[in-house]
Amino acid sequence: MKYSYTSARKKKIVTPELQLLFIFFGITLFMLFSTYAFLLFKDYRFLEQSRDIVQKRFDLNISLSSMKSKITFIEKELALSERVYTQNTVLKDSIANLFDLVPQRITLSEASLLKNGLILYGITPSKDVYNFMLQAPLRSIFHKNYSSFYPDKNGWLRFVSTNYIEENDIQNYDLKSEDLEEQDTNEGLE
Amino acid sequence: MLNKLLEGLYHKIFVNIVVYRSKSIVYVEESNKDEIINSIEESFDTTTLNAKMYSFIKSHIEESPFHYISILDTSCSQGAAPTCNPKEMPLYFDSTSSKQLCYADGWSYYSSKADLHLLKKEYSSIGVDFIFSPFVLLAKFFKDKIDKHTSMYVLIGDSFLSLAVFDHSELLFAEHLDMKNNKESDELLMDSSSMQNLEFELESSVNLDDIDVEDDIGELNDFGDIEDLDNFEDINEFSEIKEDEEKFIEEEDEYPRNETEGFNEEYQRFSLIKSSLKHFYKDDKYKSQFVESVYIADGVGVSSDLKRYLEEEIFLSVFVRRIDLCAEVCELAKAELQ
Repeated sequence: MKYSYTSARKKKIVTPELQLLFIFFGITLFMLFSTYAFLLFKDYRFLEQSRDIVQKRFDLNISLSSMKSKITFIEKELALSERVYTQNTVLKDSIANLFDLVPQRITLSEASLLKNGLILYGITPSKDVYNFMLQAPLRSIFHKNYSSFYPDKNGWLRFVSTNYIEENDIQNYDLKSEDLEEQDTNEGLE
Repeated sequence: MLNKLLEGLYHKIFVNIVVYRSKSIVYVEESNKDEIINSIEESFDTTTLNAKMYSFIKSHIEESPFHYISILDTSCSQGAAPTCNPKEMPLYFDSTSSKQLCYADGWSYYSSKADLHLLKKEYSSIGVDFIFSPFVLLAKFFKDKIDKHTSMYVLIGDSFLSLAVFDHSELLFAEHLDMKNNKESDELLMDSSSMQNLEFELESSVNLDDIDVEDDIGELNDFGDIEDLDNFEDINEFSEIKEDEEKFIEEEDEYPRNETEGFNEEYQRFSLIKSSLKHFYKDDKYKSQFVESVYIADGVGVSSDLKRYLEEEIFLSVFVRRIDLCAEVCELAKAELQ
């Protein structure tokens, strides 16, 4: 219940001087804390950036190693392709030489190239023509030669010539060819 | 919120000022939530705020920000009315120039806005929180009696009288009487009564023409023997009487002014109460009821004369209860805060 004609004045705990002092200290503290917060933020940003850089470096290292492996693979592919190309060239030359060996009177119907041999099917007018004109050069190339004949309708002879090179010679030949390939790749890298 | 929290930590300091006729009493009470920690009362020979009083109050209020300065309103333009209805208030007082408050939705008390402003201005250097009406003080002080009896209640201050008639907590009549101002009005009243008497005497005057002068001369002759005055014995007797009178005056001189002033004041108080009671009975706007008893809250220490006057002259049952005005103002301030 209200008894007084007037109401009580609002009681202030802090005097104006103290209020001013509090404001001053408040502003100072605010500035200090804001600077501290700014520095913390900057530090955080710096750490984040450094972490990003480390991550990027790590990623780059990974990509570098993958690229290195890719390069190695590509180099191998190159070497292989060169080898294939060489082999193909050799094969082409061999086939060309082979067909050069076949005289005009003999007609080949089929030729099978094996790893260590060659099988020729064809027609010859006579065994002699075959023996002198085809088997003689084949013998100089292959170690083992087997020939079989059977007569055709027109009186000519159909023949099957099977020629083999010995295994050791093939291996030696392979080794030589690999050495050559390695030399080529080394030269290429250099 | 923070203020409420801190309020519990600080002590409350109640500074209560009661202005008397030629002095001011300052009562300072330091209290905790429930108990009084310290209290001090100091009297100052001033009715306004002087430097000594200012430094005394300042030294106490500086101890806690939660200090409350209360003053008892003793201004003459105040009173109480038996209504809380703003429409009925102009019947009893000028409600435009007064500040009024309602007490328990039953009656209202008021004081002049100008006086309240003046009071606030006077104590502006220390500030004023509460200004209390003596009628509220009276109602709170006699709360136990007001609720149960129909009687007159008087708060006697040094320079004022606050008088109220309550009928079972319903206010019937109230008047604030200033003793300084009423001295003149009493004189005027007395003058008017004497004038009335004079008129009466004039009306019932004896025609001078009817008086037989010679008849009266004989009576005058009884006092006319001047020679008797020269009698030596008579002179001695006269001197003895004179000595006795001197002794009496000497004896009186020990408490000369108090008794005479006290006597005058008590009679003045009595006459004020009497005239107020007459006003209450005669004025039609008040719900008239016969008053048989009077409860006096004595704030100054009145003598038994007043009681005697009231009992013998207007046949009232008188009950006097001592009141410490400052302490009661302090209690009001505490109640106001709750």
